This record gives sequence, structure tokens and C-alpha cells, in this order.
Amino acid sequence: MSKLVSRGGAVWPNALARILFAVLGGYVFTYSLTAALARLLPLARIDAAISATLLSFAVYTVFVLWVFARPLRQALWALPVTLVLLLIGFGPQWFAGGEV
Amino acid sequence: MSRQPSLTQSMSGLHTWTGLVLGWLLFAIFLTGTLAVFDRELNWWMQPELQDRQVDQASAVQVAQRWLEANHPAASAWNIGLPTARDPSLSVSAGEQRRGQRTLIDAESGEQITPRETAGGSFFFRFHYTLHMPRFLGIWVVGFAAMAMLVAIISGIIIHKKIFKDFFTFRPGKGQRSWLDGHNASAVLLLPFHLMITYTGLVIFFLIYMPAATDALYNGDRDALLRELRPGAQQQQGAARGGEGGRPSREVPAASAAMLPLEQFIALGEAHYGAGMLSSLSVAQPGRVNARVEVRPLLGSRLELTKGEALAFNAITGELLRAPPPTRTSLLVQKVMAGLHFAQFGGYPMRWLYFLCGLVSSAMIASGLVLYTVKRRRQSAAQGVWLRQVEWLNLACVGGLMLACVALLWANRLLPADLAEREGWELRVFFGAWLAALLHARLRAPLRGWLEQLAASAVLLLGLPLLDLQTALAVPDRIRLGVDLTGFGLGALLALAAWKVSKRPAATARAARRAPAVMAEVQS
Repeated sequence: MSKLVSRGGAVWPNALARILFAVLGGYVFTYSLTAALARLLPLARIDAAISATLLSFAVYTVFVLWVFARPLRQALWALPVTLVLLLIGFGPQWFAGGEV
Repeated sequence: MSRQPSLTQSMSGLHTWTGLVLGWLLFAIFLTGTLAVFDRELNWWMQPELQDRQVDQASAVQVAQRWLEANHPAASAWNIGLPTARDPSLSVSAGEQRRGQRTLIDAESGEQITPRETAGGSFFFRFHYTLHMPRFLGIWVVGFAAMAMLVAIISGIIIHKKIFKDFFTFRPGKGQRSWLDGHNASAVLLLPFHLMITYTGLVIFFLIYMPAATDALYNGDRDALLRELRPGAQQQQGAARGGEGGRPSREVPAASAAMLPLEQFIALGEAHYGAGMLSSLSVAQPGRVNARVEVRPLLGSRLELTKGEALAFNAITGELLRAPPPTRTSLLVQKVMAGLHFAQFGGYPMRWLYFLCGLVSSAMIASGLVLYTVKRRRQSAAQGVWLRQVEWLNLACVGGLMLACVALLWANRLLPADLAEREGWELRVFFGAWLAALLHARLRAPLRGWLEQLAASAVLLLGLPLLDLQTALAVPDRIRLGVDLTGFGLGALLALAAWKVSKRPAATARAARRAPAVMAEVQS
């Protein structure tokens, strides 16, 4: 990474993609996981919502580290996983006309 | 595309770049947060017209009640801010404005006092989480920086293989080695603190940062979620509103009745929260048959952050109408985490512990920033332009902010006390000093610039007790003396740092080349 500056051109697009994936992708992933977790935790609705949200910052951190630790291609696995999590979290809303 | 680097390499890159890009912001957040530990004390220092009358809350309440009866006998509500150990001022207001106009009165004579307007220590508190930006934007920027801090901490741990051994390693006077050791030691020594303060900082605004659960389970309606947290709260608020200022009571005021002496409610409140743990008292419909007294605790009456909590009494009979319901466990976790961040519990020993830890955190961030330039300077001369930018930005963000903070204290005492929009002028001095430091950092050779800015902050801090003696109206009390001496101590630290910088043997040959003959004339 320290060679970013000296080597220039070829490294930057890759690094930029990684940063965007980590920051924006990471937020979307965390958002989805938090929603799914809030849905799945066997607690009262309010307790599940708070517990899942309290954990979200740890999830985001781990995701960012993971994106930087693995080749970018592997990180793409997060996309289908995010879709599934979104379905778990928001499926009941989307398919039941907003009924919670 | 290049080969995937090893885990240590990629984590090292991540640590370096998040640390560098957000380190400047993080230093500002951590330093102002550290100062905000003593926000009330700084508020008190910055309004030298106020005097600590050393009266207990019971007699202060009597003074306040007399003032309110004389000036606002028909008000729908009275609010009394009680003198506390951290803030011995007595304030009163009538009507419903909770944060609006407060009148400060002498806790002994009951005379109205008009202290100077000031940004106060509260400025550091607000800057800490909004960076003086619009509140919502600031909260998000600070949250982003806090996430980056978490990433930097964890990646720092991963690249730090000999975490235990290095803790005992310090090789002073060895240039880059010493900077690395210093950065590592301050990071490892207080690792639990760094992690705790960063995570709990994020947790304070958790529903704003991560609305996923609210969106999924409550259709994005945060109010619905909050209502569910405290089932009783909504009805109580409604009832309170009706009682305090609702239309029926305003049209036909209830019959007058004699209230119990208000100081009795201090005793009742202290029986619940503990001695010295009350912060304010308010009366709804004073002097009427439906009069109610609410007693509020200090934020730090326990570990949990108890914001907005109150005991409500019937003001005529003294009967307890409502005690705060116990917080449900999940929310209690959040509130305890927020409480850990706010450091309102545990009194002054805890406050000092947080202050010192915050200083070490700030120093860790600053040493990391400096380490970047020290390391790069040795690695290659080819990065000269980039390195120069980082060097002066480091100085502007670290040295410049310290200078600006001290300048704010000096401006508070030196600007005329009756200046119009005084608070704005104090802030102009703060940001003006910062801007001047930025230009100075841009123009000066790095070491020379560091020396001069550190020395300037040191001189201003060392002179703080003198400034206080010269400009205060009375002999400094316990709190002002504490601020003076703490400032003096920090000034001594910065003077030591400046002296160290001046002793550097022309730093490196390269630095000397960039600024010929500069280091030669440097004297301690």
C-alpha cells in the first residue's frame, strides 16, 4: 500500500474500488445484517432492534478489515449474502404490504 | 493487478492510510473531547463574574424561590438550576422554556448577576461531536471518523505481533524507533480505553448511524420505537403538558394553595439519588392546588446516562407521584455504554482518569501522524512534495489546534466583557488562531514550525494563572485554581516538548537542507 504513491496509475483504480467497496458496500452489508438480525433475534421486538443495532459497528469494522485482507474478487461474495440478508430483514414488509 | 499482499502488509497499509487521512480529524475530536471532560469547570472559569458562595442546595432553593415569587408569581412553571460541586452557580427561569433564558442569581443575596457571554467549555463539548458544522452533518462526519478509528485500532493490533513484548520496549533518542515505540506504547497501554471510548462514542447516536432495525421492524418510524422503549413516558408527558401549560388550566387557574417549602424536596430527592446528586428542581403550577415538583439528578448519579430523568412529587402534600421506571435491559446496555463515554460517574477521580487517558489518546494519534513523516523521510527523497504537504498539515492540525484552544481561553479574558456578540468574537479568535497556525505551518520549515507553535502554546498555558489573577474579579476559587494549575501543568509539558524539538541535531540533513541555517539558530 505504501507503494501507492510512488507507483501511481495502475494501483489507484484497484485501491479506489476497494475503498468504495469497504466503505459503501460495508455500510449496505451492515445495514442488511442488522435488519436481518433484528428480525431473527429471539427477543421482544424492541430488544432485538436495540441489540442488533448495538452490534452493527463491530460488524462494519470486521467487514472493512475483511475487504482489505482478501482479494477483491472474494469480497464480491458479500453481494449475494447482502441480498439474502435484505430479504430476511425486509421481506415481511415488502411482501406483506408493510405489515410488520 | 498486483499480487495480493500478505495479511500483515494489507493491514499495515490500511492502518497507515486510514490513520493518516482521518488522523487529523481524529486528533481534533480526541483533543476537544479530552478538554470537554472539564467542560463545566471551563464554563465556570470563563465567567469570572460568578462566585462560589459555598451554600448548600437547600438554602440555594430558598433564595431561588424568593426571587421567583417576587418576579414571576403567576408563572406556569419555575425552573431552578441548583449549585453543584462542578458548577456552583444558581440559575432560575420561569415558564416552560427548558433551555431558553436562564437568569443567574447570587446564591446568597439573590441579586441578579449578568456574567459575560462566552462560548465556554461547552464549545469544546459541541466541537467534539459536531466539529462546529451543522449538527446533523457534524455527527455523521464524526461518526465516520470514529469508524475509521475502530478500523485503525483493530488493524493496528493485527500488524502488531509482539504486542506484549513491545509494551516494555522503549528506545528513546533513536529517531524513528523512538516514535514507533512511543506510538506503540501509548496505543497498547491504553488499548482498552481507545476501544471503549471509540465504540461507546458510536453507540451514543446508534439509531441515527444505523437505522436498519428501525426501518425493518418499525417501518422507519423512530418515534414509534422510542415510544415502545418507555411505555409510560408518552402519557406522562401528555399529562405534564396539560398540567403545566395546557389550555384548561390556563383559562381557569386552579385555586391557590400553600406549597411545602421547596427545600424539603431536596431532601426527598437526595434520599433517592444520594447526597449531592441533584442538578435541578422545577415546579409546575407553583402555588396552586395542582402544583407539582420535579427533582432531576446529575447526569452522573450512576453509570447509566440518566438524561431527562426526574422524580415527581405533589407539591402540597409531598407525596411521590412518579419515580423513573427502571430501564429495560437492552436499553440499559446502550445507556451504560453512553455513560461510559460521557464519564459523568465516579466524581473527580474518574474525571481525571478520563482526562489523562484522553491526553494519551491524543498523543498516540499525533505520534502516529508524525511517525508517518519520519518513516517516509528516511525511505525516499522522491516523495518530497507529498511529504512536505503531510508535514505542514500535521503541524497545522496538531500544533495549530492546541494553540487555538489556548487562544480561546485568553480571548475569553482579554476581550471586553460587554462586547456585543462576544461569543462570536471568542470563536473568531479560536478559528483565527488556528488559521494563523495553518499559514505559519505552511511557511515554516517543519522542525522550526513545531518549535515555534509548541513554544507559543506553552507560553500561553504557563501564563494562564497570571492571566486569571490579572483579570478575575476575586481570588480564584477551587475550580478556577484547578483550571489554572492544569493549564500550567500542560504548558510545562508542551514547553518540554518544544525544548526536545529544539535539541534535535538539525533533525536530518534533509530538513536542514530545506531550511538552511534555521536549526543553527535554534536555542532552547
